[in-house]
Amino acid sequence: MKPHSLLSSINPATEPDTLAAHERVEIDASTRGPVLLFFGSAVFWLLVGSVLGLLSAWKMTHPGLLDSMGFLTFGRIRPAHLNVVIYGWASSAGIGTGLWLMARLCRVPLMHSKLLVSAAVFWNLGILVGVLGILAGDSRSIEWLEFPGYATPILFVAYACIGVWAVIMFRFRKPGHIYVSQWYLLAAFLWFPWMYATANIMLVWQPIQGSAQGAVNWWFAHNVLGLWFTPIGLASAYYMIPKVIGRPIHSYYLSILGFWSLALFYSWNGMHHLIGGPFPAWMISASVVASIMMFIPVVTVAINHHMTMSDHFDALKWSPTLRFTVFGAMAYTLVSLQGISMAIPSVNTLTHFTDYTVGHAHLGLYGFFSMMMFGAMYYIVPRLVGWEWPSATMIRWHFWLVATGVLLMVGSLTIGGILQGLALYDPTASFRSSLDYATPFRWLRGISGFLLLAGHLVFASLFVLMLLKTGRRREGPALFAAPAENRSEAAV
Amino acid sequence: MTAGLFLLLGGLIFLSGSALAAFWWAIKDGQLRNLQEAPLTIFDDDEPVGAPTDRFPSRK
Repeated sequence: MKPHSLLSSINPATEPDTLAAHERVEIDASTRGPVLLFFGSAVFWLLVGSVLGLLSAWKMTHPGLLDSMGFLTFGRIRPAHLNVVIYGWASSAGIGTGLWLMARLCRVPLMHSKLLVSAAVFWNLGILVGVLGILAGDSRSIEWLEFPGYATPILFVAYACIGVWAVIMFRFRKPGHIYVSQWYLLAAFLWFPWMYATANIMLVWQPIQGSAQGAVNWWFAHNVLGLWFTPIGLASAYYMIPKVIGRPIHSYYLSILGFWSLALFYSWNGMHHLIGGPFPAWMISASVVASIMMFIPVVTVAINHHMTMSDHFDALKWSPTLRFTVFGAMAYTLVSLQGISMAIPSVNTLTHFTDYTVGHAHLGLYGFFSMMMFGAMYYIVPRLVGWEWPSATMIRWHFWLVATGVLLMVGSLTIGGILQGLALYDPTASFRSSLDYATPFRWLRGISGFLLLAGHLVFASLFVLMLLKTGRRREGPALFAAPAENRSEAAV
Repeated sequence: MTAGLFLLLGGLIFLSGSALAAFWWAIKDGQLRNLQEAPLTIFDDDEPVGAPTDRFPSRK
């Protein structure tokens, strides 16, 4: 089976499970440098992004808060928050997870790690320059593309390196079936540089004119979610859920159908952000239809994950990875169905320009993607550093703080957004009254920010303790402990 | 404008082409067949089906 393994050459009688374990440990070890570099920077930017987000949230209820300096004003802090969490936290965590998954799924040790390390350096440099640029007042005022023009080429270099690397890894994979996660990852690693380059060419390098800029803007911004974060998040879920509970996914057919239908429909979705805007009607209609068609990939994923999990929900008690991942998977279903409903023009009339959209965005990027990434990191990091997480209690605190935080945030923004939308829709009500409806819910959102920040501080400490190797050495290359033992000591 | 336009059109054709090629290759290569075996590729002799691989760290 594996003729080149050193162990089998020394002792041909080596048991196949030992060989498999050694192969896996070797692959994991090969990913250590680049993956930890991306994870470490992700955790750093997560803390920066949380503080920026918290500050912009409280500025919504206290407009005069800390506005004596230009770089502390809402117009700079808010885009800085968005770009730091998108590119700094979410993308870095996603890239780290993607690199590790690619190596495992190709079944070969990670190659060209210098290429990836330089990509990580460029990536972080680009974000640092970009954020400082925004804070200095150089924001481009194009949502999701606020980084000034001198920062984006740096990011693009990093990105291109990773895309090239993904192709090389795929080219040199071990023969065998391509697992669904790998389809998602390859697609994400190729789609993103294309989207990013296209949007930058059309909006910055040689800007197109007029309202068409809006179309390009939302084509890009929506595709970042659908063709970059979604595939990475789902790749992680399709690997973690079966692997943690030790059960293959319910239907491989559905998973493949989900992938190709996502590839077909998603890139059309962006124009639903422009319902009611100055665009040809066919553009909006096509986008609304494609958004409704997203029902297919979303429901296939939801059915698949639920059926894989069924009868195994008690595993949520003993696996941190699964707890975060399943939360993320549920949020994915919820946020996608919510997004589909928001693409229906009559619903959009109510929710557009309200906090409802902000809640939706956070359910997607936090409830779905960030939780998915936490789950993946809880699985991956111990396998890279060879130590167990130092404290189960801290993991539980992390989970309950961020889970409560994100539910409070999304819940309050959703209710507040609906009230705000109803008031905006009422010709007899003043504009001011719509804000009066939203304000108490914005207070709640501000409080949820503290919960999230606290959760992130717990996670960051866990991560640092892990790098300092303060926990217990992992026993054996594969398992933490027998599952029966897990069950008896399980506590929520 | 023209340079950017040609770059974009080229990228568009290349990417759509590669997506179609990937799909075509997947069919030819048998990636869309044998769907019972496919989900088992992430398991091996050491971490077989039925063996959970994650848990909270033990206390102490």
